[in-house]
Amino acid sequence: MALIGSGGAGVVTVGNLLLEAAAVDGSYGLMRRSAGPQIRGGESAALLRFADTPVEYAGDYYQLLIAFDWRHAERFIDEIRLAASSCVLHDPAGGDVPEPIVHTGARLIPIEMQTQAREIECGRANMIALGLVSSITGLKLETISSTVSRSLSAKGENVIAGACACLERGANMGQSLGIELPLPIAHVGTEDRWTITGNQACGLGALKGGVRFVAGYPITPASEMLEWLAPRLAKMGGCLIQAEDELASVNMILGASYGGVPAMTVTSGPGLALMTEGIGLAVASETPIVVIDVMRGGPSTGIPTKSEQTDLNIALYGMHGEAPHVVVAPVSIPDSVFTTQWAVHLAESLQTAVIVLSDQQLAQSRMVVNRPPDIGFVTRRVTAQAGVENYRRYALRADGVSAMAIPGTIGVNYTADGLEHDERGTPSTGSHDHLRQLNKRATKLTGFDYGDHWADIEGDGTIAVVTWGSCTGAVKEAIRRVGEQGVPVRLIALRLLAPLCKQQLNQALEGVERVLVVEQTFSRQFYHYLRSQVDLPKFTESLARPGPLPLAASEISAMLLVDGA
Amino acid sequence: MTNPQEIATKAEFLAHAFALEQESVDRYEELADAMDTHNNLEVAGLFRKMAEFGRKHAVEVERLAAGSDLPTLEPWDFKWADDEGPETGDYADIDYMMTPVQALQFALANEKRSRDFYGLVASHSPNQTVRELAGEFTQEEAEHVTLLERWIARHDSDTTIADDLDPPNIVD
Amino acid sequence: MNPLSDKIEPKDYKSDVKPVWCPGCGDFGVLNAITKALASLRLAPEQVALISGIGCSSRVPAYTNVYGFHGIHGRALALGAGLKAARPDLHIVVAGGDGDGFSIGGNHFLHACRRNMDMTYIVMDNEVYGMTKGQASPTTAPDWTESELTPSGTHARPFQPAAIALAAGATFIARAFSGKPNTLAQMVVLAMQHPGFAFIQVLSPCPTFRPEQKEWKNIVRPFAVDALPTSDPALAALHCQRDDGMSTGVIYVEARPVWKRSDMQEIAIDDIEQEFRI
Ligand SMILES: Cc1ncc(C[n+]2csc(CCOP(=O)(O)OP(=O)(O)O)c2C)c(N)n1
Ligand code: SF4
Ligand SMILES: [Mg+2]
Repeated sequence: MALIGSGGAGVVTVGNLLLEAAAVDGSYGLMRRSAGPQIRGGESAALLRFADTPVEYAGDYYQLLIAFDWRHAERFIDEIRLAASSCVLHDPAGGDVPEPIVHTGARLIPIEMQTQAREIECGRANMIALGLVSSITGLKLETISSTVSRSLSAKGENVIAGACACLERGANMGQSLGIELPLPIAHVGTEDRWTITGNQACGLGALKGGVRFVAGYPITPASEMLEWLAPRLAKMGGCLIQAEDELASVNMILGASYGGVPAMTVTSGPGLALMTEGIGLAVASETPIVVIDVMRGGPSTGIPTKSEQTDLNIALYGMHGEAPHVVVAPVSIPDSVFTTQWAVHLAESLQTAVIVLSDQQLAQSRMVVNRPPDIGFVTRRVTAQAGVENYRRYALRADGVSAMAIPGTIGVNYTADGLEHDERGTPSTGSHDHLRQLNKRATKLTGFDYGDHWADIEGDGTIAVVTWGSCTGAVKEAIRRVGEQGVPVRLIALRLLAPLCKQQLNQALEGVERVLVVEQTFSRQFYHYLRSQVDLPKFTESLARPGPLPLAASEISAMLLVDGA
Repeated sequence: MTNPQEIATKAEFLAHAFALEQESVDRYEELADAMDTHNNLEVAGLFRKMAEFGRKHAVEVERLAAGSDLPTLEPWDFKWADDEGPETGDYADIDYMMTPVQALQFALANEKRSRDFYGLVASHSPNQTVRELAGEFTQEEAEHVTLLERWIARHDSDTTIADDLDPPNIVD
Repeated sequence: MNPLSDKIEPKDYKSDVKPVWCPGCGDFGVLNAITKALASLRLAPEQVALISGIGCSSRVPAYTNVYGFHGIHGRALALGAGLKAARPDLHIVVAGGDGDGFSIGGNHFLHACRRNMDMTYIVMDNEVYGMTKGQASPTTAPDWTESELTPSGTHARPFQPAAIALAAGATFIARAFSGKPNTLAQMVVLAMQHPGFAFIQVLSPCPTFRPEQKEWKNIVRPFAVDALPTSDPALAALHCQRDDGMSTGVIYVEARPVWKRSDMQEIAIDDIEQEFRI
């Protein structure tokens, strides 16, 4: 279901209310957002899909489109695919239905939402629409009314009464349309279900991992995570600083982490570019930090409000010198909790920089999820004890991880350094020290046991899709569909991008004859990365497309069904 | 600027004398290390020797102070003739390629400042014991001055700093 | 017991790492002033963190035995701010050069002044980039032509550290000379005792690339006005602007609320998870 409208039509509000009410009634759902470039009054779209299992993919096409108006609709039209069986409810006051929509063959139903709303005191067209949806989907009017009343509680009784009257009117109007799209309802209870955005999920994962200091500079689409974190960190005894820029952000978290407090920054591509020198310092000085990059369309300011996976290369290779670090990426919204918590765990355990690659699609979408499980591992940094003799901060040890003294600990004072150094930390330009420390910083990452977390692997068969990040949802859907047609396909969704677990990946690919590498980039960054690291089967193809259009399961399944040989 | 003339007790005087030697030792060691680092070994050796003298004098002062409670003075509370201790020299007179005779001249200036400092105390302190003690110290510093002057006379009097044929290095 | 040997000495704050500084560099004086100040304050070395960027002057942390972080060029203040926010119990001193603090790190300087965190910032100003072989810095005179990079000078007005710190909101502003470690030590003590952001611009000669700065010892003098230090920003601005930049002393001291993090411990992770429940 898609809702579009401009100039404060309230489509995002309707989308959120709908998702919440549906969740209360027992449905799973996903809501994506798409918006124009204006700050206020711009056109926006709320794109929803409901199912009786968690929804990780937005769908190939929309069965129902509600359009309050068509202003600048051309900006969304390629994102809102319709089928001939789709229904379009449009307000005639919002102008003529655009040609491309007419062309889809969808059923067009004019409904005077604006006019109807005006007849009601404090009436709003978006509430009429919500009423329409309720009757079309069978979503209980009481559930919607109470969800609406709760969210409008601050606006006063008149507004709530007006909204409820609109809901009712919309519901009555809907009954006469003869459209039935019953909401899929999951059987088990809803006690353990959440609605959460990817940005919130990353924030929660960070808190669960023990992050107690965050510094950041506002940037779309990451700011919401900072805004979510600020009050919660404060209430948990932590602290968030709005820094003067990203150079400050990354150095502030280095300072906090040096002080013994797990620390994180949150940004998007342009900010990550500014941070790369600081991330190199984290690697060289072996100071744990977590950097979340919520990717958006690039390069430069690019397409700030839309998704892309094009920061992969800078995350992998962006550091000067040889700076081995960890790059992870959540494969879904609920996985953002785990992956971020794991990122903190890896940063603290390995005393290095961990970059988390989220993206706009994960970050700004809201999903009804089963409560993500708690994780068993205990996160602890190896620290130096007071008074140990001949303390060497960068001592060479088999696992490469050396004890870090926390300021305040007596007798192990040291100076952390981004200059190459000897085991004590004293600057050194000698080749032997350089080689030893390079080796130390590399082996601590490659020798670490990442367990099964390096990837999500499902199914088997001689065909495999290797993918990562937000593409995973569409890939899973495609695999399910071709599976229904009798073609089994393996899914390998990488969570740990660097260091790449080559051996495990080779094992996961055992028996595979054909590989499809799926990603949302123009230059096939992920494909080239994999090619540079592992020997993929001869029949390895790439499906890569840049943003802002999300990948459709239908195009993935089409490629899987083509005979690769 | 403060007044050595106002030093009025033996304890206060000895605290000054000890600090003077201690600072002298620390500064000469620092300079010697710096000269070592910059490959001026001859001058490093000279500074090391001066530090050794200072250390010996510090021990003497400690012996004199045995049993008495010396006041703890903050660096800026000392009554030196200037803001700084007499034997810390002036960084502006230091160069990594300075010649031995220049190093001796640096030391000579220090000894003269010490002599003058003690001289002021010896002639102006309101305390008889302090005046006498300061007098002895003045005498001793004067001997150092003479000794250094003799060394300087014996040395090749070259005070031109040679050109460095290598350009400076870019480090970080 | 020896009355003299159980004292806390400045030496106790030095490490055994030997400075790479050119003999005669003003930064030796600053190092000595810092260690003297720490000894006077009788601070336990593990309670102090000395944070720096990159440059000759920024090498200072490793020469002390307090906790140190020798970070990257220009970012020391940010690193120090993060450390202070995370560890309010520590005494933080940030140190570096004029290039580090006023050029590449200029933005952090402004915001550190505004933020007024409780820390001390010491800039060793030699009006040159020492470490990269003597290029003009923000404080270099516009007609200085000794650098091959700016053969006809910079033609740019020199950065005015004290006046800018004042305008940006620093609550303790002072100027000192590295050739007077004892006086500087006292200033460092005052700065570290000052609640809030304390800035000391130290005129610290670079005999290698600015040999003419050897003359500074004959030029610097204390501010010849009784009005200083003042808590009146207008008066402080007047004296900053009238001065040729070579007068030393504490210029400005203001009592302003210090940056503080909230220290609530009101909720646990379970409480936060509640908000996501349907
Ligand atoms: C990002 C970056 N740019 C440039 C440099 C090179 N660099 C090192 S120190 C320095 C200038 C140092 O000048 P200043 O801060 O005044 O310190 P000084 O050496 O004079 O004490 C420069 C440009 C660097 N290390 N990093
Ligand atoms: S180059 Fe200048 S600033 Fe650097 S150590 Fe030498 S004298 Fe000091
Ligand atoms: Mg400089």
